[in-house]
Order: sequence, then structure tokens, then C-alpha cells
Amino acid sequence: MGNIILEALNVRVVGSGERTLVLAHGIGTDQSVWQRILPYFTPSYRVILYDLVCAGSVNPDYFDFRRYSTLDAFVDDLLAIVDALNVDRCFYVGHSVSAMTGILAAIRRPELFSKLVLVGASPRFLNDKDYHGGFEHGEIEKVFSAMEANYEAWVSGFAPLAVGADVPAAVREFSRTLFNMRPDITLFVSRTVFNSDLRGVLGLVKVPCCVMQTARDVSVPASVAGYLRDHLGGRNTVEMLETEGHLPHLSAPALFAQKLRRALAR
Amino acid sequence: MPTPVSAARQCLTEEAARALDDAVAVARRRGHAQTTSLHAVSALLALPSSALRDACARARSSAYAPRLQFRALELSVGVSLDRLPSSKTVDEPPVSNSLMAAIKRSQANQRRHPGSFHFHQIHAQQNLNAAVAANQTAPVLRVEMKHFVLSILDDPIVSRVFGEAGFRSCDIKLAILHPPVRQVSPFARARCPPVFFFNPADSDSTARRSSGGLGFSFPFSRHDDGDENSRRIGEVLARNPLLIGVCASEALKSFTEGLQSGKAGLLPSEISGLSVAHIEKDVSEFVVKGGSEEQLDSRFKEVSRVVEQSSGSGVVLNFGELKSWVGNGVLGDRVSSVVSKLKSLLELHSGKLWLIGAAGSDDVYMKFLGPFPSIEKDWDLHLLPITSSKSSTEGIYSKSSLMGSFVPFGGFCPTPSELKNPFSSTNQCFTRCHACTEKYEQEVASILKAGSALSIASPYSENFPSLLMTELDTGKGVDATKNVLLNSVQTKDGGTALNTRILGLQRKWNEICQRLRHTQSCHKLDIFQAGSKVASAEGIQVVAHTKESSREDSYLNDTQSYSGTASNFQKNFPSNESSFMAMAASPSEKLVKVSESRQIEKGKPCLSPHHVHNIDPPPDRISSSSMAPVTTDLGLGTIYASSSKEPQYMKLQDHKVGPERLPGTYSSEINARTANTSHQIIQSSSRTTPDFKGQFDPRDFKSLQRALIGKVGWQEEAISAISQVISYSRSSGGRHRRSSLRGDIWLTFLGPDKVGKKRIALALAEILYGSRKSLISVDLGSQYRYCETNSIFDHEEVDDYDLKFRGKTVVDYLAGELSRKPHSVVFLENVDKADLPAQISLSQAIRTGKFPDSRGREISINDILFVAATTIMKVKTSHHQEKVSVSFSEEAILAAKRRQMQILFGSVASNASHKQGMNVRVTHNEGTSNLSSIHKRKLIDSSDSAEKCLESKERAQKASRSYLDLNVPVEEIEGECIDGEEYDSDSISESSEAWLEDFLNQVDEKVVLKPFDFDALSAKIIEEINENVKKMLGPEVMLEIDYKAVVQILAAAWLSEEKKAMEDWVEQVLCKSFAEAHKKYKDVSSRYVIRLVVSEQLAAREQTSCVCLPTRINLN
Repeated sequence: MGNIILEALNVRVVGSGERTLVLAHGIGTDQSVWQRILPYFTPSYRVILYDLVCAGSVNPDYFDFRRYSTLDAFVDDLLAIVDALNVDRCFYVGHSVSAMTGILAAIRRPELFSKLVLVGASPRFLNDKDYHGGFEHGEIEKVFSAMEANYEAWVSGFAPLAVGADVPAAVREFSRTLFNMRPDITLFVSRTVFNSDLRGVLGLVKVPCCVMQTARDVSVPASVAGYLRDHLGGRNTVEMLETEGHLPHLSAPALFAQKLRRALAR
Repeated sequence: MPTPVSAARQCLTEEAARALDDAVAVARRRGHAQTTSLHAVSALLALPSSALRDACARARSSAYAPRLQFRALELSVGVSLDRLPSSKTVDEPPVSNSLMAAIKRSQANQRRHPGSFHFHQIHAQQNLNAAVAANQTAPVLRVEMKHFVLSILDDPIVSRVFGEAGFRSCDIKLAILHPPVRQVSPFARARCPPVFFFNPADSDSTARRSSGGLGFSFPFSRHDDGDENSRRIGEVLARNPLLIGVCASEALKSFTEGLQSGKAGLLPSEISGLSVAHIEKDVSEFVVKGGSEEQLDSRFKEVSRVVEQSSGSGVVLNFGELKSWVGNGVLGDRVSSVVSKLKSLLELHSGKLWLIGAAGSDDVYMKFLGPFPSIEKDWDLHLLPITSSKSSTEGIYSKSSLMGSFVPFGGFCPTPSELKNPFSSTNQCFTRCHACTEKYEQEVASILKAGSALSIASPYSENFPSLLMTELDTGKGVDATKNVLLNSVQTKDGGTALNTRILGLQRKWNEICQRLRHTQSCHKLDIFQAGSKVASAEGIQVVAHTKESSREDSYLNDTQSYSGTASNFQKNFPSNESSFMAMAASPSEKLVKVSESRQIEKGKPCLSPHHVHNIDPPPDRISSSSMAPVTTDLGLGTIYASSSKEPQYMKLQDHKVGPERLPGTYSSEINARTANTSHQIIQSSSRTTPDFKGQFDPRDFKSLQRALIGKVGWQEEAISAISQVISYSRSSGGRHRRSSLRGDIWLTFLGPDKVGKKRIALALAEILYGSRKSLISVDLGSQYRYCETNSIFDHEEVDDYDLKFRGKTVVDYLAGELSRKPHSVVFLENVDKADLPAQISLSQAIRTGKFPDSRGREISINDILFVAATTIMKVKTSHHQEKVSVSFSEEAILAAKRRQMQILFGSVASNASHKQGMNVRVTHNEGTSNLSSIHKRKLIDSSDSAEKCLESKERAQKASRSYLDLNVPVEEIEGECIDGEEYDSDSISESSEAWLEDFLNQVDEKVVLKPFDFDALSAKIIEEINENVKKMLGPEVMLEIDYKAVVQILAAAWLSEEKKAMEDWVEQVLCKSFAEAHKKYKDVSSRYVIRLVVSEQLAAREQTSCVCLPTRINLN
């Protein structure tokens, strides 16, 4: 089982160091998104990279539409990888959906994680009463139908929005990985994410968390970072990045690496 | 049973089928009964440009000579084939099971490989058309050559054979496939749309055909009861689940409903057939509404009975929402009695009874935990976070009709003609390989790109495309050629076609090269310029790399390296030590004009002017370190330099070349040597050194020094050191580091004077490279700096972190700039703050003379002057700074903001006295003068901050750990810096200190700068103002200048490049305002004080021409 998942999700272990660092990418990217961050950490960490099952780089056969209808299946994958590699304790950096996954994984296996770094994380993307998640239900339905209507057009519109229009290289990169995903899978996972609501379980996280949030993020309003800090059950910090976009690790790698290094050291 | 060849062929693309045919032929020739993988290998190796051979060439271990290893491989294959029993000759030996299995494997593999969707889809489409026409069977996935080869390598017999020859088949596979590139390079995978139409799992080809052949069966049909939450609950039902989350109660409901309706597949089979009992109502009745205990007890008994009687595997007892147990008005003791009752119930029916419940949020659970801290153990609870609701997921499934709209995704289907972007498809076709010789690949990539650059109607189109077009492809034109070339994996030709095409391209390029070398050099310049221009773009790596092509490779290298030197020339780079070049006669080379490729190839940079004939030195010569340059300098009257360095050359000179040969005999030498086959290396300067631009000959120490001092007058000592180093290394032809000749120079500026350092760097760029644009300036500490907004110093360049580095690392930015401007000064500010990748790159650059970017691609820095600046003065030199207390520290000045100034009016305080005729003084706080009350408040504010500026150092220290503490005098800042590092402490920052030390030890020269003397400057300026004030306002009037205002003026003066700019400002702006003030106030009192202060408001961005001070001063 272990080896199958390691192969299926293109798990890669690089770097040398006592400590283990798991980098988990978000929707629309694959592990290559960490490429520019990696050199900062390989000298002092053993870095585990993997692709989410929904990533374009993973055989779509592995995507079981029934299984991946909740985030728990993603958590299973993560834990299976970590177990297969015999990791007994690690730092976890999760972006977007993987931040959610990390939260759930830390609830399930608190002893496994020494720290969670949640990048562009949100416990719930939809607005609710007393909660501002950034999206109205109607809005998101529109997004989904746009995705269905013409994935390509949607990608080309969404990518600059998510990354920040001023970094063409990063936009290209994100568009590439986003477009590599099979549209139905993208849509399905997006729905899964938007249907998820972690607000009720945040308090169960006892692992210290660092919430990393850019100054402007189309997907996550700044208030969410505060919400996470206040509701997560462990010792939490918020690290605001003086840049914009949902993918700081792609658009401002040096800054991101710097902050991340500090967050991990603390 | 062996498979008939024809059946096997159907699974293969044409190319692969051809390979199979060859294999069959081999088997037939040897009289074997079956065609095995070994035959296939033998056939593949026999092909002159096969992918397999290629891969072997790259994967081979360097321990053996390539020829030997290939021979060994051939032998080993041959021996293995000999071992096979031969039988009577069959016309077409059928395909053996193992080979057929390999084909099947590759088929499966190819399905999985997303990159092949494209090809597959196109292929399928074509087949479909054929099918429609000829009513054939549905298309089968045809295996491409690459996958075919890969699977064959999996065969244990084959890998043993390779192993015997010293190859590891996994290496070869890696070389063929390259590790999935997304893991290596962000650019490796395709931007070109993968085709989504196939659900690879779907083997139902009829379904595919039903919707235009491109059916997409959505897996939603597989969804039956599909509630993932319920499934999970079922999974954890060994213990008693407590669902937590916003959707928990919903999930609970759907789970219990599912149980009741007895849906199959919901639970693990061993506990299926559970029944459900609800006690939620009874409990809430009891704990909230105060129902009787008997009622509850009887209900519990009932449950007990149900459990005992239950025929199935047990009962799930739903206790409902925990919220009702902890809400307001709940009777605590009643809850605890319920809890204990449930506990005993559980114990009683262990294995038959399960509790289940839900909590809307962790808060509720925490509250519940309050009175019952051991509840988790007592009830054996399993907390199950529930994060999505069934209803919402159902929403997805109900959409499936909409999802159907994916199917006709018309715009999605890329027809070959739509594959316009060669880069994107290249990215798909060519995957990266670690093992591969990176350099060569870059070369090819740049060639490919040069081709594409052409198609964009480059200015070089006159010379070049016509050539290329005729050379490459007469029919299709450049663009088409390129497409064919880059997309060939997608076309039916497959891998080897690509290889051959690239090889062809190489040969053609070589021909072009040779031809062009005989024509005018400007052609070369243009072409190679084009090459170098695009070389900086993303690297593409090519699968193709054969042993046979190595000769061509070197030619390619030639062209590439030539591009560097060629552009050198175009810029007319003055100092160019291009005059030095290696000359060697190499008998084997026909191409005497081929330039210095070898050195470049071997990482030994060398400059060469294009008009000197250059002959490749034989590699053995060059690798021996005795290749020492010998110089004669027949240039334009620069004899002093060379003569002064003469002894040096003699020492280094190759012993075989006598010094007496040097002077004068030079042109005849060349002629002699080109014919000569002796492997001697001499170095000669070009006959016509390009004319020096301007009067500066960088070799001339004095003129360089003069020019620099003209720009930065206050750093004389440092400048003299700098010019010495530069003129020395320029005239001596670069450093001799590890026996290689290098043109790059590394300087470090240590100590204070930020502006001075920058100014020197700028001046160097101007003097050495002719333009200020040749300065590449990077602040390595910029990422640490929090927005220092409105600093007076940030107008001077757009050094904004965001602008430069967004989406890039410093290393990549620098690499990009370096390849764009191969002749320039690189100014690295705050080099001590370099992050890890930057450290690595810089170290490598200083060691090897090549600057690697984050992908490991190396950029030549042969003509780069690196200036690394740091405020840290670790390296103690004779210039040890004595500690003088200064009233204006550099840090205070650096903190200056670009603010508006204003003039305030006040009466003279009694204690104010004239000091030596000075009517102007600098004030630090509001106590020194009485001010007109209106402005007092404002003033207090501003002088308060002045005070802050000076005194509250501790606070300031705390506040600005992130970067330089601008408010603290220099000595403290040094300590602070190191503190700051430790604060950020982890192993990396410690190692970064070590790195800095190591780095500093490697630079050519460490230059320590003096602190800028602000006190003297301020005295000078104040004196000047004083003069003006006295002149205009009379001796009675006092002027007090706020400390901050002085700081701002000093900062501006420091920054301004023209000496007179400051005087002009005083005259034109300040005095004008004084005059206005005087007009306004002179009636009030004869003895008054005017104060020049800085207001909170920011000065307008556009400044007077040279000084960054406000163009007018507000009057109050």
C-alpha cells in the first residue's frame, strides 16, 4: 500500500536534515509549485513533496469521485504517505486545500506534527452569518458554471486573479498546472473544498499553527487569518506577507521562504 | 502462446512497429523461434540514432570509455542472443510472451502518461475518421517508441544484459523518460492542453464512439449511495463515534437513516445489519424539560432489550446533538446521571451496542468535557471531524447533467495546426534529465530558440532566416520546421525522428557556422546575438544526445560561446581583455577558425576577439594547467600597463614558449602557428584592439582613480584601492585562479557610507562599461526590509522588492540580468543578508566564474565586476575606524523621510545668545525656544520625534530589528545586526556568517570605506545658510533648524551628485522662503526666531532637478 501511494502521488523526498518538512500544495498546482522554495530548506530539512490526487500530474484513474467527496480522503493520503516514509514527527506546510487537510490530519494524529504552517488557509470559503469567508453561495455557483462552460477560458481568467497579475511567470506557471488538471476533477475538488466547513473542528487542533496570509488574497479575506488564529486550539501565530495573491510561494518565493523559515524555527 | 507479429504491430505506432520489424528480422536471421525483448534491444541498438542508444550514451557511467562500454553492451547482447536455442527458420518469428507483455505494459503506461493524451487523442481522431470511412474496428492505443523502449528495459533478461555491460537499466530508463519533470523544473510540463476526453480507465470504446468518438464517461454513474461521511462513520464504528463539525448533525441524520433503510455497502460487512435506536428525545426531555427519571430508565431498559434481542450484529444508539446536553437551563446533575447510565449500558452490551452523537462545534464538545473530563474514555468516543455535508455533495451529483456539457468541449480539442506555441509543446516533449550534460542541452535549447526568435521577424532576418530556411527545410519555412521539430513527439514520427531532426539541425548549424565564418563577421554577430538573446530563456532539454553527435556538439558550443564574445564586440567594450586568447595549432581540426569552445566547455572561460584566428587547442593541452597566457600588447599605446606587468607574464608563461618570441613577431607567429602542428599554446593580443570608448583606459590606474574621485570625492583611499585592483586585473588579463584565466573581478565594500558605495558602483559601470545602465543593482537585504516608505533614499532607484523580485528569487533575477547584460557591474547591497540560494550561487560564481541560476544553468560572468557591499566590518584592516561621537550618524541620515518643510515663527528666548556670530543653530527639542502658540503643538510633535530619533535607542532597537536600525549609531548597529541574525536564529543564519567570511576571503579585494563626514557637511551647509540669513534678514534674526530638517538636508546633499546642487537649493528655495518670512514677520518684532522644521506632510514626489528636497517651503 505504502509504495503504491508513494508512486501514485509522485512522492519525493529531498534534502537532508534531522527535521522533516512536508510541503503540500493546493488545488490547481502540483508539487512543482514548491520548486523555488525548496533550495531554502533542503540543506536543513528532509523535505517531503507529493502531489494531491487531484493534481494534473497524477493519473486521473486514482481519483475516486466517491472517495474524494470529503477532505478526509485527502487526509488519508497524507497520513499514508507520512506513514509509508516512517516519519514520526514533521513540520507541515499546507497551502489552501492542503491547509485544511493539515488541520484535519493534526486532529487525527496530533503527535505526528510539530507545527502546521497554513498558507492561504480558510476553514470555510463561503460566507455565513457571523462569518466572512469571502464567497457568496451564488457567486461560487457562477464560478462553477464558468468552469464547466469553458475550462480554458476560466483558467486564463482565474490564474492572474489568483496569483496577481503582475507576475506573468508565476501566472503562466499556475495556469499550466491548473490546466493540467482534468476539468471535471478540478470542479469536483473545488466543490468539495467549498462544501467543507472546518469551523466546528478548529478547536480540536492542539498542534501549534502559523497562519500565513498575504496582504491581498482573492480567495481568502484577511479576517480569516484572525479567525483561524482565534479558533485553532493550539498556540497560534499569524504571519502577514507583504505581497499579494493566493500563491505567495509562487509569486514571492524569496519572501515566502524567509517567512516560512522563521515560522518553522520559532 | 506467442503472438503473431501482425497482432503485435497493431499495438504500436509506425515507428515502434518498425523497430519491432527490425527485431523480428534479427530473430529470423538468427533462426530463433520467437522474437524476444533481447531481439528488440539488439535491433534498437543497431539503429544509428535510436532513443535507446541515446539514453545509454547519457546514462553510461563515466568510469569507462564510451566506445568500450557500447562495445561491451553489443557483445553482451550478442552473447545472450547466442545462448537462445535456434530452431528452424520461421519466416516471421512470432512475438514472445515477454515481449508482448512489455508492449501491453507500455500501453498501460502510455495511458497513464498525461503527456501522451495529446498524441493519443490526435491519433485516435485520425483513426476514427478512418474508421468512419472504412468501418473498421475501434482504435487501439498505439504505443509510442519511448514507452515501448521503456517497457522492454523492464524485462529482467534485458536489464541483466545491460548490467553486464555496466549500464543500469534504471538509469537508462531515467534518461529516456527523465524523472517526471514537474519535480525538477516548473517549466518542464506542458502548457499545452492535455486532452481530457479519455477517461483512461474507460475501456468501453462503444461509449467513446457514441459521442463523436470522444466520449467521456463520467464516473458519477458509479455513485450509488455515495455518502462519504456515512462510510467513514461506519469505518470508525469499532468505537463510539462523536461527530464534530458544522455538518455533524446532518451527517448523523443521514447515517442513521441510511442504517434504517438498510443500504448495503454503507458499513464494513462484518458489522452490517445494525439497527438504530434513538434516545435523543428522551434525553433532552429528561435533562432540559425535567422529565421523570423513571421514564428515561424505562427507555434505557427498552434499548437494552432491543440490543439483547437484536438478531443482527448490534444496535447503534443515537444520543443526538450534544448541544442539548450543555445548553442553558440544562440540569447538570441530570446530565451526569444520563452519562453514567449510558456508560453502564455500554459496558453491559459491549460489542453489541454503539453510541453515536454529534456536536456542532468543538466548543460544544469542550463544554461537555468540562464536567466530564473522562468522557472520551468512559464512552470510548472516537471524535470524527465532519467537514462536509451530504446534501451539498448530492448537489454535485445532481449536477451531473450539467457536467455532461464537458463532453463537447469544442474549443478544447487542439488540432495540430493549433499547436502554435513551440515552447509550450517543447516543454512537453522534452523532459529534463539530471544526468544529462546540461550544457549541451542548453546549447541546443538556445539553438531551438534562436530558430523561434527568427520567426518573430527579428532584425536579423536579412542574414539569417533565408539561410536557415534553405538549410533546414525548403518546403515548410522556418516556422513549420520548428513546429515539426518540437512537436514531433506528438506527430507520428516519435522520438527518434526528433533526435535525427535535432542532429540534422546541428549539422546544418555547423554548416551555417562555417559558412558564416567565411563571410563578414557582422553576420555572425547578428546570428549569435540572436542566440544569446534567447539563451537566457527557459531551458529546454532534449532527449536526443548521441555519442555520434559529440563532434557536432562542440561546434554548437562554439557558436554559443562565440555569442558571448561577439556581443562583447558589438558593445565595443573598452577594456576588453579580449585581446587575450588562446592560440593553438591543432592538426586534427580543419576548422581553424572555430573559437574557444573547448575552454568554455571545460569551464575555463576565455575571451576572444572575433578577428583573431583561433584554433581549438587539443583538450589534453588545455586540461593541463601549464597553459599559461603570454601577452604582447600591440594595442593603442597602452604599453605602460603591459610593460609594467611583463615580469608577471614571464613567470606564468608556458615554458615551451620562449619569451623572446613575444614582441613584434606576433603576426608572423600566427601564420606560423596555424600551419604548425606543435601543440603549443601562446597567447596573443588582437591586432586591433577595439577603440576605447572615452578617455578612460581602465588599465590605467591613474585615470580610473581620477574618474572615480570625480564622482565620489570623499572616499579617496577606498577608490585608490579599487582602481588599483581593477587596473591590475584588467591589464593582467584577469585573475589567475586555479590556472584558469578569468575576467570577472570581485570586490567587497565594507563599512559605512551606503550612498558612497552605490555611487562608486555606478561610477564604475559608467567608466568601465560606458553606461550607467550597465549597473545591475540588487539589494539582498531588501526582502528583510519592511516597507521603508517615503524614505528620501528610495526615489533614487526603483529598487522595490516587489517590482524586481515578484515571482522570482534573487538568484533568478540576477541570472536574468547577467545574461541580458554580460558586461556590467553587479552591485550587491547587503551581501551579508543573502539568502541561502543566493549564497550558493555567489559562492559558485566566485569559485568557477559561472553564475548558476536556481535551475543550475550557468551564466558566464567573464566580464562582470562584482561589487558586494555590506555594512559589517568583520574583516579588520588597518583602517580601523576610531569611535568618534558624531552628531549626525549615517543611520540617522538614512532614516530621513521625504517631507515637506515649513517655516515657523517665534520670539527669541531670553537665553538664546549669539554664538560666534552664528545666527543659525540646530535645535533638538522644543525647550530651546518659545514659539508662537499656534504652532506649538505641531512643533512639539516634531521635536519630540527628533528627540526620539536621538535618544530612545532601546526602543528603536526593538522596533526595527527587521532591517538596519537606522536610528542607532554605527557601532551599535553592528552589534545589532548580529543580534538580529541570532534572533532569527537557526542553523542557517549561523552558517550564513560562516558563508560571508568564506565569501569575503575569496574576493579579489576588500575595500573599507570611511564613514561619510556628515558633521563637516552640516557645518558647511549651516555656515552657508548662516551667511544667507545674515545677509537677508539682518543680524538680529535667529534661525533655528530642526534636527530633522538638518537630517533631511544632509541626506539630500549626500545623495545629490552635483556639488553645486545644495548651494543652489539654499539659494533658490530656502532663501526665497526666508525672504517671504521676513516680509511677513518683520513688523512684529525686530528680534525674532524663525524655525525651519519638517512637517508631517510628505513632500511632493517630483523634486528639484538634483536635490531631493522640497521645491518650496511652507510658510506659517
